[in-house]
Amino acid sequence: MSTASREFLRNAAEKSADLVHRQIIRRAIDHYNQAVERRRARFLDWQEARRRCQEIKREAVIHLDRYLLEFERRVQERGGQVFWAETSEDARQYITDLASRRGVRTIVKSKSMVTEEIHLTPALEKLGLRVYETDLGEFIVQLRNEPPYHIVTPAMHLTRAQVASLFREKLGDVISDDPQYLVGVARRELRHAFFSAEMGITGANFLVADSGMIAITTNEGNGRLCTTLPRIHVAVAGIEKIIPRLENLALLWPVLATAGTGQPVTCYNTLIGGPRKTDEVDGPEEFHMVLLDNGRSELLADREQREVLHCIRCGSCLNACPVFRTVGGHTYGTTYPGPIGSVLTPHLRGLNEFQHMSYASSLCGACTDVCPVKIELHHHLLQNRRNAVNDAKRPLVERATFKLWRWAMLNAGIYALSGWFARAAMRIVHAVRIEGTPLDPMRLWTKYHALPSVPAKSFREIWRKNRGAN
Amino acid sequence: MKKVALFIPCFVDQLLPEVGLDVVRVLRRIGYDPEFPEEQTCCGQPAFNTGYWQDARPLAERFVRIFRKADAVVCPSGSCTSMVRLFYPDILAGTALCEEARMLGQRVFEFSEFLVKVAHVTDVGAAFPRRVAVHDSCHGLRELHLKQEPRELLRHVRGLELVDLPFSEECCGFGGTFAVKFNVISGAMGATKAGNAEASRTEFLTATDPSCLMHIEGVLRRRNSKVRTIYLASILAQTDESGRTAQPGDSR
Amino acid sequence: MARTENSGRERILARIRSGLLTPVVAHTPDLSSGSARPMVFAPIPDALERFQRECAENNTECIVTPDAKGSAEIVAGVLAALPVGEIFVQDAPELRRLAQAWSPSRAIRWSNEGAPAETSQATITLAECLVAQTGSIFVSSKCGGRGASVVAPVHIVVANVGQLVPDLETAFARLRERGTASHNSFVCLITGSSRTSDIEKILVLGAHGPCRLVTVLALHSANESGGGPAKA
Repeated sequence: MSTASREFLRNAAEKSADLVHRQIIRRAIDHYNQAVERRRARFLDWQEARRRCQEIKREAVIHLDRYLLEFERRVQERGGQVFWAETSEDARQYITDLASRRGVRTIVKSKSMVTEEIHLTPALEKLGLRVYETDLGEFIVQLRNEPPYHIVTPAMHLTRAQVASLFREKLGDVISDDPQYLVGVARRELRHAFFSAEMGITGANFLVADSGMIAITTNEGNGRLCTTLPRIHVAVAGIEKIIPRLENLALLWPVLATAGTGQPVTCYNTLIGGPRKTDEVDGPEEFHMVLLDNGRSELLADREQREVLHCIRCGSCLNACPVFRTVGGHTYGTTYPGPIGSVLTPHLRGLNEFQHMSYASSLCGACTDVCPVKIELHHHLLQNRRNAVNDAKRPLVERATFKLWRWAMLNAGIYALSGWFARAAMRIVHAVRIEGTPLDPMRLWTKYHALPSVPAKSFREIWRKNRGAN
Repeated sequence: MKKVALFIPCFVDQLLPEVGLDVVRVLRRIGYDPEFPEEQTCCGQPAFNTGYWQDARPLAERFVRIFRKADAVVCPSGSCTSMVRLFYPDILAGTALCEEARMLGQRVFEFSEFLVKVAHVTDVGAAFPRRVAVHDSCHGLRELHLKQEPRELLRHVRGLELVDLPFSEECCGFGGTFAVKFNVISGAMGATKAGNAEASRTEFLTATDPSCLMHIEGVLRRRNSKVRTIYLASILAQTDESGRTAQPGDSR
Repeated sequence: MARTENSGRERILARIRSGLLTPVVAHTPDLSSGSARPMVFAPIPDALERFQRECAENNTECIVTPDAKGSAEIVAGVLAALPVGEIFVQDAPELRRLAQAWSPSRAIRWSNEGAPAETSQATITLAECLVAQTGSIFVSSKCGGRGASVVAPVHIVVANVGQLVPDLETAFARLRERGTASHNSFVCLITGSSRTSDIEKILVLGAHGPCRLVTVLALHSANESGGGPAKA
């Protein structure tokens, strides 16, 4: 069992027992679900919308090299610079070097999961730079010194009272826990940062190949300010974020908003193409696009799972997942939690260490149902499990058990006998009352279930006797 | 009498034989002659779900050989039916039996699916004057697209009051080996399902998968809940109190 | 940064190319290109009605006026109610004309003088086009710059009905015709005032961007061609 796996189980146990936490998550997700249902009704045919989005991403990924090169060329034509980062390290290095060379002291950041993936902020802070997360949810978890809880709503695990007391502790006088008031506190606090920062760092929801523009989807306006006021704009995105044409956004923007936040579209869908043009009023003087690989190009070669690269990071699989709803986002301990994280992380960070994520699922398929680009997430979990077995990464006891199990199942007589013994053992466990004690061989089950009554005869025994006649 | 083959999941065979017997009762009542090929053991799902596709493969081959001659196969489990219909072609890809498995999969039916879509029967002459809610088992719902079938059948049960279960499509948390490997999460999910059942004020909870019900029953009993689980066929096997077996199509 | 310093580029491209050689398993059958595809969005017969309805839902104040003169009066009214302070206005002929209707004591910074001040009370811009489907406004750098639509607490958009298109698809076609994306480093679809639900999923209007978005929509424009791009 890997360290990550042990951590996961420990966190899962803690969070599963935390009924308050479960209720908070539940309420947030129920609210989200109602909004999504309303917005899906705005589509004449939501399933057709999903199919078309799937096609857009499939087209983009099948010709990934071509579209990336087109994108790069157009960004450069606009006066922007493009850096291809093979690893997290490369990306961090590029950005920290840039910040150093340009004398950057303050950075404002818009929400970006990929910057979490490469652990950018700690690297910048190590240089003595002040980094402000400006997305409200990210701002909150930054103050708490914890990672984002969810890829779209980073602070959904907190109540307003918790946010108020956090602000009181870290920022000064806070007189109310009214969300409107708290947002005002954050706005005031961050405004100075926006206007004084030398560098703005954002992610990108889409990279538009035919225009050399990046598309950023936000609500708060923080992403806008990060790309307007500082003199340097750095955008970081995975190579798979490419889409072929600007027109694709006519569908992707409403779909992303519907699935991501239950809105028809978000407040600001911004297209940025390089630094400001010479005749423009304002805007950054420099634009740097960091394209991150970090294992994505390897996923292209996976004949079953290439489509995992179609993910638009909407977060709806997290919201649909009953496991996520039970244990919450922090339990996973990875940048990407929930179903997409459970599929992707073993690929990006190693099957050895992270296979448990693909096992921590009841395979209910709700994720696959909601995914707006029709990724068959739960089937990919199964494939990851098979890969773990085939790569001999499973525990010896488990492998041996299944070999034994297979031997028994291939012979009806042995199967029937094994069943008979199992039932007899269960009756004994119950009779001598070791159920639930350390001696109970079924304690993994009996910890949460009363043991069922054990039938005296199996179906086949009854059938053999009288063919089930009443 | 039309013949159908019975595919009785291993855990039903060993732990819930009443489920199989009730399926037989209902099938006979509507004019079918069920056969139980005794060579069958397990469809291979536990191994498959845990990633041991190599170990599931011989079981898949065995299943195909046992059932290849059947015109129709009925199975009281959405998950086992999904295994055969959806995943056998994957496991047997590239082998000689692959195509035959794919075709056999089209003839293997979950119990409610068989009644409604193949036998075209929604009234099996049952009586069960209780409040019943339906939990939508995940495989039945998402892999076999079953939603209305169990409800249609229950709507024709005399005296039965169909109750809405809040979040009926949310997974109960069984998930096979998940219930053991991640028992904490599974137990919590089961508790959520039990809580929803209690909130609906139903007397009974039913589903197309007896594995779900086994899990939920264990949780309910641990909580000393008033709600009880009962498999779909076991409801349909009930006839009215006078003991007279109603014929399908009897008017009320 | 010179290309030679980015050795990762070639390696990434090489891995992509070799990865793409793998034939993938297609699980879902592709729709045949011949068959008619279902529509994703319902057609919008009355764009103005839809635009107004969407604005009501997303909290954009949409005020319809008969003409430019009417718009000028409305804007004057909105400004009069604002606290004392500078307003930032996109330098465009239409807005220069409109400004004559405003109180002379209101300090104005025009976009040709530079970016909006941190303490601006309001910004006033034109738009590239309006989208009925979502009650949105497309702006670009030409509409007074990037900050014009986000820095101040109130953003006022002066537009006319000729700029209104039914849906996003049409909007993108119009932007494509005009080369808006090529001519600007910034294009933005704005839908309502800034907002967040990051605290308990409760919607709060007015986060880092404006808390008020006012669209003043004239039914008849001064130039009959139907609202071309605004020149800064």
